Order: sequence, then C-alpha cells, then structure tokens
Amino acid sequence: MARKPNALDINLNMSLFEPGASNLPRKYGLPERVQFCNKCGVSNQRPNSAVEFQHTEKSEKKTINFDDSGVCDACRTAERKTAEIDWDEREAKLVALCDRFRSRNGSYDCLVPGSGGKDSFYQSWMLKYKYGMNPLTVTWAPNIYTDWGRHNFDAWIHSGMDNYLMTASGRSKRLLTRLAVENIFHAFQPFIIGQKCFAPKMALMFQIPLVFYGENEAEYGNPIDDNAEAQRSYDYFASSGEENMFLGGESVASLKADFGMSQADLTPYLPSDVEPLRKLGAEVHYLGYYLKWHPQAAYYFAVENGGFKASPERTAGTYSKYNSIDDKIDDFHYYTTYIKFGIGRATYDASQEVRSGDIAREEAVALIRRYDGEFPERWAEEIFEYLSIDEKSFPEAHKMFEHPIMDRAYFEALTNKFRSPHLWQHDGTDWSLRHRIEQI
Amino acid sequence: MRNLRLIPRLDVKMEWLIKGVQMEGWRKVGDPAEYAKAYADAGADELLFMDVVASLYERNSLHDIVSKVASVVFVPMTVGGGIRTVEDVSAMLACGADKVALNTAATRNPELITDVANRFGAQATVVSIEAIRDKGSWLAMTDNGRNHTGRNVIEWAKEAEERGAGELIITSIDREGLGHGYDLDLIRLVTEQVRIPIVSGGGLGTTDHLSDLIDKTQASAASVAQALHWKKLNMSDLRDTLNANDCFVRRLT
Repeated sequence: MARKPNALDINLNMSLFEPGASNLPRKYGLPERVQFCNKCGVSNQRPNSAVEFQHTEKSEKKTINFDDSGVCDACRTAERKTAEIDWDEREAKLVALCDRFRSRNGSYDCLVPGSGGKDSFYQSWMLKYKYGMNPLTVTWAPNIYTDWGRHNFDAWIHSGMDNYLMTASGRSKRLLTRLAVENIFHAFQPFIIGQKCFAPKMALMFQIPLVFYGENEAEYGNPIDDNAEAQRSYDYFASSGEENMFLGGESVASLKADFGMSQADLTPYLPSDVEPLRKLGAEVHYLGYYLKWHPQAAYYFAVENGGFKASPERTAGTYSKYNSIDDKIDDFHYYTTYIKFGIGRATYDASQEVRSGDIAREEAVALIRRYDGEFPERWAEEIFEYLSIDEKSFPEAHKMFEHPIMDRAYFEALTNKFRSPHLWQHDGTDWSLRHRIEQI
Repeated sequence: MRNLRLIPRLDVKMEWLIKGVQMEGWRKVGDPAEYAKAYADAGADELLFMDVVASLYERNSLHDIVSKVASVVFVPMTVGGGIRTVEDVSAMLACGADKVALNTAATRNPELITDVANRFGAQATVVSIEAIRDKGSWLAMTDNGRNHTGRNVIEWAKEAEERGAGELIITSIDREGLGHGYDLDLIRLVTEQVRIPIVSGGGLGTTDHLSDLIDKTQASAASVAQALHWKKLNMSDLRDTLNANDCFVRRLT
C-alpha cells in the first residue's frame, strides 16, 4: 500500500476558493445551497449520524432535514417533546421495561455507558435511585482526560455507581486517531467507535441484556422519525464481519498488513457479532425516549446530587462550560466539523439551547458569530504530539507516513485539504466562510 | 455595632431574571423588576444588577430595566455587565444606577477604573472580580466566569483599589449557585490586602453562611441570589441573622 502523502505538498486549486466563484464543487455530498434553520440557527450542512465502520474519504453524508418552513428536524423533535408526547405514559413504559428486566437478587440488571458527564450522571442516578435498578456503568476512556473530566468521572462513581473503565492502549488509540485525522479529518472517530462498541460487548460479557443510552440523536438532527423508537439499531454497534470495515478511514485489513496493528490492538474497536447479541436478547434503549431530556437540567441535577463541576473556563470554539468537557481532543473535533461543514461548536451548543428554550435565536446567532471556528489553542501542542507517529513508538506505522510528525504547519495543510469550495473562500490572505448566519 | 449590608444580586439576560450554577446553565426565574421591588421592600440595603451576557454578546440591555426599577425602588443600585467606557457609565447612572460594576472591560483596560473614579467618584466605581480557585490561589475571570484574564485575584484587587475603585465585589465561581457557603478563605485574604469595602458573593445557602461571613471575615456586604430567588430563604431570615450577630439592621418604613 502507498504511503500517506505529505499534506504539505498538496497544491490546492485556489481558483475554486475565489470569492464570487460559481458552480463550486461540494465535498462529502453536502447540500449545494447553505441554509440556516429559522428557529435554532443550525445549518443544513449538518451530517446525520452514520455507521462509522463504513466511513472512508469517499463517504457521502446524509444531512439534517429542513421542512418547507425552513425549520430543521431537531426543532420539530423539540416541539413534539413539548406539545405531543405524553411523558407520564412514557414513564409508565419505562417502569414496565425496568420491571421486565429487574434483578431479584441484586445482580446487575442494566448497563449504562457514559463518561460521568452530566447526562450519564442523570441517567444512572435515575435508574438506580428512582427506578430501583442495579446499573453497571461502563466507560470508554477519553483520549486525554481533562482534569475536570477526571474529577467528574470520579464524582460519578463515588455517587454510588459501579464502573468498568476501559482504557484502550494509547498507542493504538493514537495511531487510529492520527489516521482518522489524516484520512477523514475526524479526530473523534476512534473514540466514538470504541465508545459505541464497548457497552454491547460488556453486555455480552456480563450477560446483561438491557442497555440504556441517553438521548436519541434525533434531538440534534437525525431524522425525526428515529425518535419514535425507544431502541437503537444494532447497525451502529454490531456487525457480522471485518470485511469492508474501516477504522480511521483505513480498512481493517490494511491496519493489520501495513500499519503493524495486531488483532488484539484492534479488538476493542471492533463491533460485537450480531448473533450473540440476538441470542442474549440485547435491547439498547434511549432513556431520552422515556424521560424528557434537557441537557441543562441534567447539569443542574449532576451538580446538586453528585458534585459535578463545570470546567473552569469556556470550551474553545464556544461559550459553554458544562457540556462535553472530558477529553482534550474534543476541541479539535468541533474545529474539524467547522472546516468540513462550516459548523463549529458554538452552533451545536447554541442551537441545542435554543431548542431547549434556554436562549433566544438572536443570542444563538451572536454566540455563533463570536465563537464558531475559534482555533483550539489551549491544548494544541499536546494534541499535535499525541497525533505524531514517532519511529520508536510505531516502528511499522511510522514508515507509512511521508510526514509522520503532526505539527501546526502540517495540521493547517490538512485543514485546507478538507475545505469544501462551496463553503470556503480565500481572499489572498485569509480563509472565511462564504455563508454565515446573519444577525437580525 | 458592625454594619454588613445585604445585597440581593439579580443576574439578568435579555428581559429575564436568571440564575445559573457556577456561572453556567442559566435558568429563567422571572421579571427582574418585580423581584427587585420585592427584595427592596423586604429590607435589602442595596441591589446588584448584572447583565451576565453583556460581555458575551458585546451588548448591554439593562438600561430599560434599571430605569424601571429606579422609579419604584429607593435603595442604592449597583449595575454591571457590558460597561466598557466612561460614556457607558454616564448612561447607566442617568438611568438611575448609583454605582457601576466593572469587570471585563477593566481587566482589558485598567485605566478605565481611574477614568471612571475621576469622573464620577470612587463611591460610584465598583470593580467586580470573578474568582476561580487554582490550587492555592485564585484567578480572575471575565465574561461571567468564562475567560481567563491572566490576573491573580489578590493582585488585581490591590490594583483596582490603587486605581480608584471604591468597592470590590468578589464572587467565587466555584461556589456560585450551589448554596454551600461563601469561600471564606478568599474573602478573608482579599479583606486583609485592601482597605475598601468588599462585597462577598457566591454561595450563600443558609443563614449559617451569613453568620460565618460575619464571624470569620471583615466583609462589608453579602450578596445573595439563589437562596432568595428559589425561596429557600427570605430577607427576613437574613435580617434576623444580622440582628443575632449584633449587626446594624435598617428599619423598614
């Protein structure tokens, strides 16, 4: 297999990025016309959740649906939460579900994957202390814990939860993360894959058929009908074989043959087989289907009941301090979404808070314009070192990169490679988005 | 007899009185003017209004609320949030504020403190410091606890005093909105280092917390928010505590 070419050698066709240029190519199958939701401000370039094992550099995205009124599915989902859903009835269904699986002898009867953030705290607490279940919590460790992420994880466990923390080898995680950045500019992908696969595997190991996730991704833009189901499809975490399976945009076969990864290195990232899960009768439910989910309320709940701490500073690229704060690589994840889709972390945070009724759209627009796309300086050097494939740690994989070391210049060259001409322009000095949400 | 002022703090976002935890996750409480009037009528010595998103959004929307409150409330009002220039101060005082609280703009341009003090007097010049514990010391933050200033709280407090501030509001971000009590170490340390009055903020949840503040620090005032907004305590509870601790209590008319 050919080595990964040096991104610094790429000559971009800059005519495609000229201001005012027309008929511009689009990457990732994104919609041609950029629109911003009339209610929350999210852009129609937002991709839906995908099966990450099939994600390669050629993948095309399905994106969030906007209706004829210019309102996104996430907003319509939020409206349904307030106007249509009978939450008492849903809670009764939850009690019935718990009763169906409830342990009679104190053994674990449900599994709650989480990080110890506000949402998993709320989830496990409600199941244990309100609905009388015996949850086992499981955690796929972040790439690099923040101090406060680790504090919150500890606070969660010491609030009365048993936990298995899976910390995959730093070397395999680093290599897969580098490949994910190099191939698909998705620094968070190996984490997401590991996280999604881990809980069903633990369910099999402990023979616990009931797994609870938090809120459905439909709350953030997946098709509205996804939220009509309480259960998550097996497609996201189960598979029948390694053929056509990709991690970090690289085939499993190539990771073994070319990058020096062993089956053992890859095992934590590989999905469970479907059959044993079916045999166990595994059911993966969204707690958010049964209980009205409000991220800010979960924050309050975790602070009041478990000593959860907001981070001591706002997260790069946004204004908030309480949301998704465990992993130092998180800041880079949202920076890459800003480059690929024109959607940074402030957009994700602010549009969610508009839908929850916590801020007005006018405020969201101001926050998006101020913070979206801010470069994540605070841990940049640490992250670049993490993404560097040095010869000593990676004797085989090192040979597969023309430029194995990640530094600021290399990261910027990669950044430019992933800009879509229909979203980005370059005026000879600076890059800017062709379309920004307008202040009212 | 000691004088310790009771100052309900009203954080405002757009037209709403709101409340957060650790200066994050704002929840709507109600109409700020209604709450302000109720607290003043019930014995508040002063009121503190903060537009908590003014710096975040680079705006200031308190003028209407301050004008409205000033027409019905007759206790001194300190107003902060988004005050960036001497002209902003002038406009806020014209709306009925008695003092202005400077934070973000002052950390960027400390000369602003001097300018405001020279023009309007030290009695109208308050510096608000949002403090977060960092190992053995405290860092001064801005933008409602979101951004670092690179300043140490004690050093910044001393500089603010030297530049003409007549009062400091010291709010503990770690304890804000939790109701677990003030950061007494922080307040003690600041009061030992400066001579101007210190308003303690962030954490009052029970009357014992007020007694502790009186007992263990030289604070001149206590700011109170969530315990009042969520009706865990009322002004009468706090006034009784002052009485019990031999502090002066203003008579209600």
